[in-house]
Amino acid sequence: MSQINYRTINIDALDPESSTNFPMESLLPATLPQPASASDAANAATQVRQMLRGGDPEGALRTVLDTAPLGGDDRAKEVHLATVIDVLQGIRQGEMTRILEGVCSGDGGAERADCLMKYLYKGMSSATPSSGAPTPKNVVSPQNTGFSQIQARNLAEGGGGGQQMSVLLSWHERLVEIAGTGSIVRVMTDRRTV
Amino acid sequence: MATPQVHHLFHAPIADHSFSSDKKTLAVARENNVELYQQSGNKFALSDELKGHEKTVTSVDIAPNSGRIVTCSQDRNAYVWEKTPTGWKPTLVLLRINRAATFVRWSPSEQKFAVGSGARVIAVCYFEEENDWWISKHIKKPIRSTITTLAWHPNSVLLAAGSTDSHARVFSSFIKGIDTRPEPSAWGERLPFNTICGEYLNDTAGWIQGVAFSPSGNALAFTGHDSSVTVVYPSAPEQPPRAMLNIATRLLPLNSLIWNGETEIIAAGHDCEPFRFRGDENGWQLAGSLENKAGQAGGAREESALNMFRQMDLKGQAQADTKLKSTHQNTVHTIRAHDEANGVASSFSTSGVDGRVVIWTA
Repeated sequence: MSQINYRTINIDALDPESSTNFPMESLLPATLPQPASASDAANAATQVRQMLRGGDPEGALRTVLDTAPLGGDDRAKEVHLATVIDVLQGIRQGEMTRILEGVCSGDGGAERADCLMKYLYKGMSSATPSSGAPTPKNVVSPQNTGFSQIQARNLAEGGGGGQQMSVLLSWHERLVEIAGTGSIVRVMTDRRTV
Repeated sequence: MATPQVHHLFHAPIADHSFSSDKKTLAVARENNVELYQQSGNKFALSDELKGHEKTVTSVDIAPNSGRIVTCSQDRNAYVWEKTPTGWKPTLVLLRINRAATFVRWSPSEQKFAVGSGARVIAVCYFEEENDWWISKHIKKPIRSTITTLAWHPNSVLLAAGSTDSHARVFSSFIKGIDTRPEPSAWGERLPFNTICGEYLNDTAGWIQGVAFSPSGNALAFTGHDSSVTVVYPSAPEQPPRAMLNIATRLLPLNSLIWNGETEIIAAGHDCEPFRFRGDENGWQLAGSLENKAGQAGGAREESALNMFRQMDLKGQAQADTKLKSTHQNTVHTIRAHDEANGVASSFSTSGVDGRVVIWTA
């Protein structure tokens, strides 16, 4: 017993009153959609890519934001993120404002704007270049080593990542013009992550 | 629209402010003290200081009829201040909390007040004649985090609370011997202490910063750190609400809100100006800012070239643009009805981080 190093005990884990034991699931609203699997996301991706090829970028963006797997697992979210970024990259600079205005208006337009903002921030934080199949990247060692698992920024991975970043930034600029700073604030508070 | 009356009291944040019922006395929470200002002419002059708290005062409220002042602070205490011929006399309240007190409001009956705290409880305080002190009863469940804001229902029994667990809740704070039995309403019929009459979470789940009951008490509005305002219309006890409407704005988050009649809400926050929302059960929308910006458009004067280069030399810029276009120069913390009759506020007051108290025409 004398071998226990009391200094390394995580007392927060033992204290039910501790803020680290806050039940995060209590922040999920009752309206959360049913969990979607990776195959659902892949089906949506096929449909969206078809629309994009068929010359309907606005419809593609609308569909991809409406089918966001808010209640899905990490894998489904990963697949869907790649689809969204493909759509965003498939739309020309000159058309961005027109398409955004179409997507962010009408019924549920505000939700789509907030959803797109979430994808922009997620896209900017993730290291995977969207081209090609997304590879599972979070290969974190199972035991907590105590080192933070900061991933290499995608800028280091050659030109592809930097170009993706610049696309996301120009979308971000135009979306803020339409949806305002409130949309950015809601990315931070909303627990229905994409 | 009349220009707002600006009172720039000092260069320090105002955590909370409260006017007396005759609007001649103004109490503001400044650091560890509460300062009392008296109106003289068009100005407010410092007349008294309420000293006693050892840490930042977080909230202050003047009871309109009795004139008693209640204050609470991060030192985990609350005091009730009463005016005596020799000055203001504090009475300590037994809050029994082990974290900061964050918010305090008198009930409309002035028999009770509620203190929110970081200890995940609301202390509902009332006066006990036998022992001559203010004691408290705790509302605990199911609060999961700090209480940031409180609002009383007109019947002085129901209490709305907003919390950093992103939920707005309506509780009963019925205390036997103090309260009369309230009339049954959509919130509930039998209301023993700590009954949960409603628990609301909006989709975007921000920390709740402001709550308010509508003048009739039949609707609840709350705002939070997700830049939205949510209005709830309850249907019947134990039933889901009849309507729950969320207005997601494109603004920075709002901190505080009041109702102006049953179809209008005024809210202010990090955008430093008050905004008006209009609507009813069928839908709400942002109607615009109450700031009169037209008069300030001519601000860019012609500068002489000499002056311009001198400014660029001295400050590295041609014009110092450190002043905001809004009346408040920093975040607004508190908004309160000023002149109010039958639930309609003809004017309201705001205070914030810039040390200003502003009285607006609604």
